[in-house]
Formats: sequence, C-alpha cells, structure tokens
Amino acid sequence: MRKSTKIIGAVGVGMFAVVLLFALFGPMVIPYDAYKQVGGSFLPPSAQHWLGTNDMGQDILAELAVGARTSLFIGMMTAILATLIGGFIGVLAGYIGGRFETFVMRVIDIVLTLPFLPLMIVVAVYIGPGVFTQIFVITLVLWAGKARQIRAQTLSIKSAGPVLAAKTMGASDFYIFRRHIIPGVFPLFIPQFVGSVNAAILMESSLSFLGMGDPTMKSWGSILYYANSRSGFLTDAWAWWIIPPGVCIVLVVLAFSFIGYYLEEKVNPRLGAYTVAPKRPKQHITTNEALVAHHIALRVENLTVQYPKNNAYTSVVSDVNFSVKEGEVLGIVGESGSGKSTVAAAIIQQLRGKAHVPTGSIYFEGQDVKQFSDEELRQLRGQQIGYIAQAAMNALNPVLSVERQLKEAIVAHAHVSKKEIDARIDEVLMQVGLEPKWRYAFSHELSGGMRQRVIIAMALINKPKFVIADEPTTGLDVIVQVEIIQLLRKLQQDMNLSMIFISHDLPAVLSITDRLIIMKYGHIVDFGPSRELAKTSTHPYTRRLIDAIPLLHPKKEQSYGATR
Amino acid sequence: MSRTFSTIGKKLFQYMLVLFVAITINFGLPRLAPGDPLLYFFDESTIRELTDVQRQDVLNSVGLGGSLWEQYISYLQGILTWDFGYSITYAQPVTAIIADKLGWTLLLVLPALLLSTLIGVMIGAYSAWNRGKGRDVTLLTTMLTFQAIPGFWIGMLFIAIFAVQLGWFPTYGAMSIVQDGTTWGYVKDVLWHLVLPVTTLSIATVGSNYLLTRSSMLESLGQDYMLMAEAKGVKKRTLIFNHGLRNALLPIYTQFTMALGSLIGGSVIVESVFSYPGIGRLLYESVVARDFPMLQGVFFMITLGVIAANILADITYPFIDPRAKSTTKKVQA
Amino acid sequence: MERLVNIQNLMKVYGHHKSEQVAVLKDVSFSFAQGEIIGLIGASGAGKSTIGKILAGLEQPTNGHIDFDGTNLTALPSKERRKFAKHIAMIFQDPYESLSPRMTIEELVEEPLIIQRIEKNKEKRRDMVKEALRVVSLDPEKYMSRYPHELSGGERQRIGVARAFVCKPKLIIADEPTSMLDTSLRLELIQLLKSMNEQYGISYVFVTHDIALTKGFCDRIIVLHEGEIVDIGPTDDVIHAPTHPFTKSLIDALLLLEGAQP
Repeated sequence: MRKSTKIIGAVGVGMFAVVLLFALFGPMVIPYDAYKQVGGSFLPPSAQHWLGTNDMGQDILAELAVGARTSLFIGMMTAILATLIGGFIGVLAGYIGGRFETFVMRVIDIVLTLPFLPLMIVVAVYIGPGVFTQIFVITLVLWAGKARQIRAQTLSIKSAGPVLAAKTMGASDFYIFRRHIIPGVFPLFIPQFVGSVNAAILMESSLSFLGMGDPTMKSWGSILYYANSRSGFLTDAWAWWIIPPGVCIVLVVLAFSFIGYYLEEKVNPRLGAYTVAPKRPKQHITTNEALVAHHIALRVENLTVQYPKNNAYTSVVSDVNFSVKEGEVLGIVGESGSGKSTVAAAIIQQLRGKAHVPTGSIYFEGQDVKQFSDEELRQLRGQQIGYIAQAAMNALNPVLSVERQLKEAIVAHAHVSKKEIDARIDEVLMQVGLEPKWRYAFSHELSGGMRQRVIIAMALINKPKFVIADEPTTGLDVIVQVEIIQLLRKLQQDMNLSMIFISHDLPAVLSITDRLIIMKYGHIVDFGPSRELAKTSTHPYTRRLIDAIPLLHPKKEQSYGATR
Repeated sequence: MSRTFSTIGKKLFQYMLVLFVAITINFGLPRLAPGDPLLYFFDESTIRELTDVQRQDVLNSVGLGGSLWEQYISYLQGILTWDFGYSITYAQPVTAIIADKLGWTLLLVLPALLLSTLIGVMIGAYSAWNRGKGRDVTLLTTMLTFQAIPGFWIGMLFIAIFAVQLGWFPTYGAMSIVQDGTTWGYVKDVLWHLVLPVTTLSIATVGSNYLLTRSSMLESLGQDYMLMAEAKGVKKRTLIFNHGLRNALLPIYTQFTMALGSLIGGSVIVESVFSYPGIGRLLYESVVARDFPMLQGVFFMITLGVIAANILADITYPFIDPRAKSTTKKVQA
Repeated sequence: MERLVNIQNLMKVYGHHKSEQVAVLKDVSFSFAQGEIIGLIGASGAGKSTIGKILAGLEQPTNGHIDFDGTNLTALPSKERRKFAKHIAMIFQDPYESLSPRMTIEELVEEPLIIQRIEKNKEKRRDMVKEALRVVSLDPEKYMSRYPHELSGGERQRIGVARAFVCKPKLIIADEPTSMLDTSLRLELIQLLKSMNEQYGISYVFVTHDIALTKGFCDRIIVLHEGEIVDIGPTDDVIHAPTHPFTKSLIDALLLLEGAQP
C-alpha cells in the first residue's frame, strides 16, 4: 500500500479521535450551560468565551460540545442501524435467493429510485421533527444501498469455492450459512458502516438545517439553522457563529471519508494495478554495430528485474542473457513465477508496478531500448515490435469495435488515407483467418479463439519485423490452440518474423521454436536448440518438464502406476 | 429482440411501482399520522371555532372526507387529470405554481450539474493518470474535503463573504425587484443572481464526480487492454481518452443521468439558503407553511422527474456500452 | 466387479425462459464399476463439468436418473441425498479458491467429518485427518496448523485430495484437478490419485480437456461434444481408433503438437 494512503487513513482516525474527545469531555470541561444565556448577545471571541456568543447570549463553544454529542449520536446510530438492517436483509436475500430475493431487490430498486432528500423531508414533516424522526428517515434512505452491496458480496461468497466444497460434503443450508456465509460477509460490514457514517452526518446536518431536528436539542446543523433563520450572516458574528459548526461537520465527515478511502484501497486490489511511469527524456543512443553486423535482432544482456517486497527488493528476473537472430523463433518456457513474462514486458519497456531494473541492456537492432525516450518507445512498440498477449477477457477494449482498435494502431504510426486503412484492415483480418465482417464486432461477441486472432492482427497490422507472443494459447481449447500455433507458424514464415514465443506449455513451444530457454525462479537454467534440448538435455528440471508431458503415442510406454 | 422487450417491460413496471409508492406515501402519511388531520391545515384556535358541518366541508375540500377508499379513488382521479388541488398559501392550482418555478430550478441546477460533472471528470481523470504523485494526493484530499462540506454551509459562507461583506453579489433571490427595463439588463441581472447558487451547488457536488471518475479511471487503467493499447504504440492522448477514460465513462454516465433525475429535488438546500424561487424552495416553503396539497404535488413531480431520467438512462446507455445491446445487426447481416 | 454408478438419460437445461434455454446435457447414459477410473473429455461447454457437478450434488439434473450403489439418487429428498456425500467426494479445479482462507489445514480436512457426523470424538477425528494427510504425502505435524495461503499450489491441491479422501468415499469427482497446476506437478498428482485407486479401490470420474492425461490413468474414457457422448470405450481404443469426427480432430490436434517433438 502507498505511503500517502496510510497517512490519509491515520489522519482520518486522528481527526475522529479529536472530535470524539471533544464530544465526550467538552460538555464537562466547558463551564457554561449551552442552553442558558451566559453573556451578552454577539460577544466576539474572548478569554471567557473562546468562540464568542450567539444572539441569545449562549456560549458557542458550549453549544458545539453539546451539539457534537447529538450529531455524532445520530450519525453513528443511523450508520449502525442502516448497516445492520441493510446487511441483514442483503445477506438473507443473497443467501435464500428465489422469489424472496427478487422481491427484496425490487423493493431496494424502488427505494433507491425515490428522490431521497425530498422523501426525507416529506416523511419527517408528517412524523414531526425530532431525534427519532431523523434516525428513522436517514436509515430509511441509507439501508437500501447497503443491502444491495452486501447482497452482491453474499452472492459472490455463495458461489465461491469453499461453499461449493461444503455442498459436495453434504452440508446443510444452515451449516453453510453459519460456517461460511456469516464469517465471510461480516468483515464487509465495517467498510459499509464507515461509508454510512459520513453520509448520515451530512444528512443529519441538512435535516437539522431545514428545521427537522429536535427543537429542544442542539446539534451542529440546528446551530446553523438558527444562525440562518436569524440572518446570522448579516452580522459581524458570522465569523464565530457560522464557521465553527461547519468546520466541525467537515472534520467528522472528512475523518470518515479518509478512513473509508484507506479501507477501499486496502480491500480493492483492482485499484492497485496502475502506477505512473516516470518520464523518459530524449538522449543520445549509441548503436552496437557488432550486433547489427551479426544480424542479431534482439540481445538481452545481464537483465535483472526486481520488485519491492517487505521493504526489500526481490529479483523476479536474475541476470538473464539471450539473443534472437533475424528470422529466428526463440521459445521461453517456465512455470508460474519463472519470470518469463517479465522478460517480455522488459523488452517493450512495459514493466508493471514498481519494477526496479538494477542491471541489464536490451539491444533491439543494436540500440538499447532502456535509453529510448517516450516518443522513441512509442514508435518502437507496434511498429518495430508487435506484442501478442494472452486473449484474456479484457485484452481487447470492450467498448471499442475491432475496426477501431485496428485503425488506431495504424494511425499511430503512419499518415494514410481512409481507403488504405480499410484495405489494410481487411487484409490483416484475412491473414489471421477472420472474415472482414468481424471488423464491426466487439470483444464480447467473439469466441476465445477469435479474440486471439484479433490480437494477432493488432500486433501484425503495421508489419513489424519482430513479434513477442506471450502465452498466446493459454486458456484455449486444444483444437483452437493448435489452430493458433499453426497460424503463428505460417505468419512467421510468410513474413520472415523474428519471434519470441513464451509459454508454460512445452509441447506448444516445441512445435514452433528453433531455440529454447528454460527459466525457473527468474534464472535461465537450461538452453539450446529446441529438438536437441528436448531429446538430450540432462538438466534435471528440463527433464522433469519434458517427462511430464503426457503423450498420446509415447515413444516409451508411460505409466502412472506408483510401483508397477 | 424479445429479450430486450422483456427487460424494458420489467423496467417500466418498476418505474410504475416507484410512482405508485410515491403516490401512496403522499396519500398515506397525512392519514396515518396521529392526531386531528385538520391540524396539518389550520392552527388549533381556528379548528376550535369550526362547527361540525364546516369541519366536514373543510375535510371534503382537502380530500379527507368520506371513507379511505373513496378518498383514494378521488385522489387517483386527481392525479390522472393532472389536478393536485389548490395550494393553501398561494391560493392557486398546485400545477400552475410548479410550472412557474420549474424554469428557475432548471436554470440553477443544469449549469451546476454540467459544471461539476465536467470539472469532476477532468480533474478525476488527471488525478488518476498521475496517481500517487503530489498533485494527485493534493487533488484527492481537496476533493474529499469538498465532499465533506455541507452545501448549505458553503452557501451561508458565500453570502456572508461575497454578498454581505464584499457586496459583489446579491444576498438572495433570482432577480432584482427593480429592473432597468432592457432585455440585456434582465439577463445580466439573472446571471448575476445565479453566480453564488450555481457555484455553491457545483462545489457541493464536484467531489463525488471527481471520486467516481478517479476510481473508475484507476480501475480502467489497470486493465489488460491498456497494456495492449500501449504495446500498439498509440499516442498518449489516445491511450488516456479512448481507452482509459472511455471505459471509465460508463459508471460516470450512469451517475450523471441519476443526478439529472434528482436535479429538481436536490436543490432544496441551496434554494433555501439563497431564497431562490425554484421547486426546492417551494418544497421547503410548503413544509414550513404546512401546505400539504403543495407538498404532495411537488413530491409527485420530483418523483416523475427521477423516473423520466431513469428511462432516459436506460434508453441511451447501450449507445455508450455496446455490451448492453442484446443483438448486433451489423455482424449478423 | 460390482456396478457402482449407472447414469440413465441424463439431461440438463439452463435458463428459465424458453428463448434463453440452453441444453448443456442431452440424454447422456453410461455406467461404471467400483474401482474403475472414467475420463470425461471435451472442449469447454461440452457439458463434462456439468456431469461431475450433478454427481457431486451441486446441480440437479433436468431429467434422467443416477443409480449409485443401488440407490436412485435423483429420487431422494435433499436431506437424504446429502448423506451420500460421504461416498461421493469432489476435488476442484482451483486449489486457490476452493479452500477457505479462514480455516487451518486441520479444519479444512476435518470439515467433511463434521458435516457427515462421522466421528464425534475430536481426538479420533484428528487421527483421521492425520491419516488423510499422510495418504497425500504431507507431514501432519508440519501442516495441520497452517493456513492455505502459506502453501504452494501443489500442496494446496493435495489438501483438496486429502479432504476428498478423509471420509473414505467410493467415488471421487476430479474436475480438471491438474489444469491450474504447473506441468511438473501434474504428473505427481495423477500418480497420487492412481495410487489411492490401487490401495483403496476408489473410483474416479476424471474431468479434463486434455485427452493425453487420461492415457495410462483412466480405464475408460467418454468424449463429450455439445452435450452428447460421441465416443466411449477403453482409453487406448478411443485414442487409437476414434469414431467421431470431433474425437478425431482432437487427437489429430494433439498428434500435430507431438509430431514436432523428438
């Protein structure tokens, strides 16, 4: 987690603590009764009255302290009620399902559609102003949102592995509810509660400001209500009459917003994936002529990539060296955590998160891409080096058509007419085995295999000489996998591409590559020409990987028998 | 296609239910509440002077005569014929007064909504793109603070500082009582009165727009398609707008249309502070004056506005999210 | 060998409204004996996992019946049906999310014993958990008090196997148990399952998309395509002489990959 997030969270807790202490001990320490006249009207702040007095000669600091109790009480109380009621209903709806759930969701939809502020006002008018009214009305408005969120979370727990597992063990509904649903959902009540407190306090102050508060009790909102209705802003007293109660409200609401922000960042990992890439200035780049002379398209030298973990850097890639000759296909094989995809990301300088690269050079056509400026990198990507990602669900932009995503790749690198763009899109789609009509499709309308073809089309549309394919067959059905590999092999031969093919799937890699690198825990443990390596390598890890390939027509009979 | 129809049908059914609930709240609350219903309309001394016949007449005139069922039927009839009765304070048909005030509210709320959405989205996207840097943290804490400020308090401070102390802007109302007679003068006067309320409303709502944009933008920026687009070598502008913000826009658009719906009802507080003659102020006035026909009429209209915005959102959403369309004709053709 | 499971005319349709209905399984029938290992092969969406889920009691079939050891499971009320979970256990595909992060390894493996009320005595239960852990070659002393997140993927999947084993079931449904594991660990898991079959006579329904994995492990395989059985028979027979075009193309695809190897 970011340092700034932690600071924000801590500041939130601190601010709330200050207000809480003020509410608890303020009325005992301040020597004035907030409800009695203790001095002249509109006395400015002084040693006796730190925040002066109002029109009735009441001490404003004393009012604030007493008001803090009311405001905090109503705010916390409604937040607890709304979270408990909403949470309870949400859990039940999510767990029971069926007609009950449909009914509850309908009710929630209706409550959430109703205009909440006017609704609060209308209801409050009829039941009359007062603390109970405020708690009732705010809870009425807040519970539905909580119920909806807790229901969604219950549903995800209900369909998650541990519950399914318990069901296969023959667990009763009650057992699952008690042992899995409740312990899973309950921790989620806390952020819901924090999120409601600030909403509740703001609503309370608004209602009090409109005169819906208890007329016999002071709250921050009601102090402002009187200040407003008695035109406090026309007098000089506004500075000490209007500002302090508002500051109190802001302080508490902000405290809970800060705490809520901290919890959100902590719980929601999706927000954490993106980090800002530092600016890369233009600098002079020397060309390594020796590499160019030997037709080495890519040379990776002493590459080490580290990520921070527990206040220290851990290497994900350690001292990796390899080259790819022009027109050659290099395979990188490794299991999860081997660092193979990090190597790919390093080549196009797209390392995610807080990656640290202490050593290493990456020469593309003799030039170290580590020294490239932002603009030079942009021109390298897509034009010189095509990148084929795994066709995961979100690899394509879900709201842009295939056509748009292909088109932007073209116009990023060349000024061409609309006609040429159209022709190029048709051509590249045919090349990857898709009919041109699919250009109008969106990602969700494509099958996994088709998505992978579109991704290949995107990588090849500017006819790069070098292609990196990062797990292009993962997650696809076997037949589709073979189709994709055949397609890549054909394209590689037709276009004489240099290629890096990364996969954990050894058979797929063996069928397409000339040379092979085996990686484990960030190190290259074995390398050599693919066929030779598979046949003769004596490295134990390589052997283990190769022997683990299940074969339909094995050369030597395979048997899983433990002792046979 | 049939599926699309059934989802629209379900939605419409839901909106009918919402309307029904609003109507029932309007109808039910004054009748369920304890005490003499006439207390809502007159003070105690007036009621004491009424004869039984007069009392019955009065009850009939405000729709409280006869059995509950009869009352409900006549109440529904009223709504269907667009008749919400007479306002007690204005002694005019409720619909006429609402029509009179609606324009002022729109004049105040629409610019504020556009302003706060535009600014919120822009700085939210900027903040997300620069996540973790100093400017992001500064913007974030500022906007969280804005979000924590109650709208009425900003209004009060603005009046005290910019209207009373500095005298730059008027303290209340939508226009001056004395006009110079020219159209330009009138327009200028109205705009001059709008500055403080619009700014107040914008500040009060910009925080949530900012936060929503920032978090949905961050989520979008962390997706695989961002890496893919970057690997294609597209320009930074394309990356931020076509990929990052374009996807982040989906929840923002939903919130925008929802805000459009609560537009009429959401300005109660600002209109009250600035004594601005719109629907919100009308709602507040009818609360203070216990003008129940008025209150019911306004609440009904506000609900209607919310439903209209929801329908608009449902119809337009598929245009910005292709996944919401059930069929794609182009591909099948 | 005694017949353990007999599935007749199994059908599963998802979706309520007619226009949205999808038939995942259309009239599937097969049976197998105690101790037999059956491989269910197919592409994604072929319905192979659905059969597994129905057998494990996670889904109700739309039609058809399942005879288990002479009892018609589909006719049982749910309370009675649940008792059969001690005879039919399941191993899940994802070793990460099928284990509750809040429970220790001991609690996880113990859970079936508690649910099925197999042993009231805590000490005896603990002994059974220890035995199950030893069967999957994990040292009980070392693992019992640890939490799933402290273990590697391969270790977690072994916990899943121990949990399935602890009630000494007659049948274990293994739903792609190797697909989330690294290549080098797949073989070990299959060897473990095979040895449990040999020692305890446990039957498996092994659901996989990779036909090559069934060789040498499954006695018979069933190839599913779009909800129907298109090939069924002893593993080697199906692999060497597939009858249906889908099975042929599946095997051709694999052979193409293998052809590139030494």
